[in-house]
Amino acid sequence: MYGWRGRIGLLVPSINTTMETEFWRIAPAGVSVHTARIAGGRHGTPEELRSMEHASKQAAQEVAMVEPDVVVYGCTSGSFFEGPAWNKKISEQLTEITKAPTVTTAGAMAACLAAGGHQKVDVVTPYVDVTNERLKHFLKAHGIEVVKLGTFDMLDMFDHARIQPEEIYAKVKQITTPDSEAVFIACTQLRALEVIDMLERDLGKPVYSAVQASAWQAYEAMNVDPKILDCGSLLRKLSEPGARKEAVKKLRSA
Amino acid sequence: MSRIGLLVPSSNTTVESEFYRALPPGVTLHVARLFLTQIATDSILSTVQDLEIQSRNLASADVDVIVLGAAAPSFLKGLGYDRELIKKIRAVTGKRATTASTALIEALQHLGVSRVVLGAAYDDKVNAIAQAFLESNGIKVLAAHGLGLVDNLVVGRLGSDSAYELARKIDRPDAEAIVLACTNWKTMDVVEKLERELGKPVVSTTQVSVWAALRAIGRIEGVPGYGRLLRDLAAPSQQTQLA
Repeated sequence: MYGWRGRIGLLVPSINTTMETEFWRIAPAGVSVHTARIAGGRHGTPEELRSMEHASKQAAQEVAMVEPDVVVYGCTSGSFFEGPAWNKKISEQLTEITKAPTVTTAGAMAACLAAGGHQKVDVVTPYVDVTNERLKHFLKAHGIEVVKLGTFDMLDMFDHARIQPEEIYAKVKQITTPDSEAVFIACTQLRALEVIDMLERDLGKPVYSAVQASAWQAYEAMNVDPKILDCGSLLRKLSEPGARKEAVKKLRSA
Repeated sequence: MSRIGLLVPSSNTTVESEFYRALPPGVTLHVARLFLTQIATDSILSTVQDLEIQSRNLASADVDVIVLGAAAPSFLKGLGYDRELIKKIRAVTGKRATTASTALIEALQHLGVSRVVLGAAYDDKVNAIAQAFLESNGIKVLAAHGLGLVDNLVVGRLGSDSAYELARKIDRPDAEAIVLACTNWKTMDVVEKLERELGKPVVSTTQVSVWAALRAIGRIEGVPGYGRLLRDLAAPSQQTQLA
């Protein structure tokens, strides 16, 4: 069977075109990605983001059939919007349906920042104000302060994928502050994976993205070292001797 | 950049992997799932029930073409059934669409083939429907053999050697091509090798789905490693030449 080393059940908002592409791009031999779509509209309104919680259950039932080793709920705003308890609820619901551990993007965001020991971060998003405020609240609840937030300010979630990697690179460089310990690029529809490595090298601090953080937790959950060496330090850490166990310990104690 | 939308039976573990590997640079794949656990006729019928919903999900990702990447669910009701499904997809999305079964007929016609042997993962009941579908579309099936499987997850666990062995077993001199049916059956690894050894086209339902999708989006530069059909994407149709 394909995915003999690990099968990832990937739930993406129906409009998302980036996350499947990036997950397949980094998947090593023996790992397969099986996608199901969370039905929804193009505009990231509060009603739309809230509706994803319910719609994701249908997608989880569809992907459960491949008996995945991990399920990824691949939407940042769709997992942080109503706060940490809501995120936890989504995660538990999907695990109940699929019988697999669930990674949510918002959970992966908090976990990777915690694992890095960061308390002050800059954030880049494509979101409108109301969503950006919710993001700050979510991180604050995890003990993380947003020093500076830069946004592309677009309500149309499909159009988030039209933002080019070089525009994301430019935005991160433009907004990042000396006070921040790291940068997080939110939204699984942003094509950030292509520029993360160069951003880290050029800025000299850790840079994380929504897709990257989700992948990191997914490979940890599957206990697979994917040997992804060109998509930032977070994923490279999975391939350092002992580092994966360290991260797991940190997560458990967090 | 072009985007291919692929409708996958929910229990299919193979077609996404094989499709991804065969795509040229600049083409991305976007998947939605239809319910299917057993390759038995009753649950195939239920598979198409959410066809419209899942087609809309793919359309919201603004894909350039929608492919129903499932063979049995698109030939189940015989001649013209695949075209009905295409119409349904088009009606709700406005997108170009095709199915694995439609692509199979088109590929055989493109190759100028009218006499085949059929190997499939299916049980005899479903395989008989596959045979009838081919014959009603003007393709003579000289011999048909199925592995007898109805549990889709079990099909996904088969190695590609099962397709290789079955193809070699059913081949006969008067067959102009070999058809391997079921997109959850690993076939893409063995098509090239079989063609080299048997000296005739080997056509799998996954391979023809990739072929039809690439033609629909105008990416006809050819993909090596998966048989004549994908290698010679820009080749003129044999049937057109004859006409």
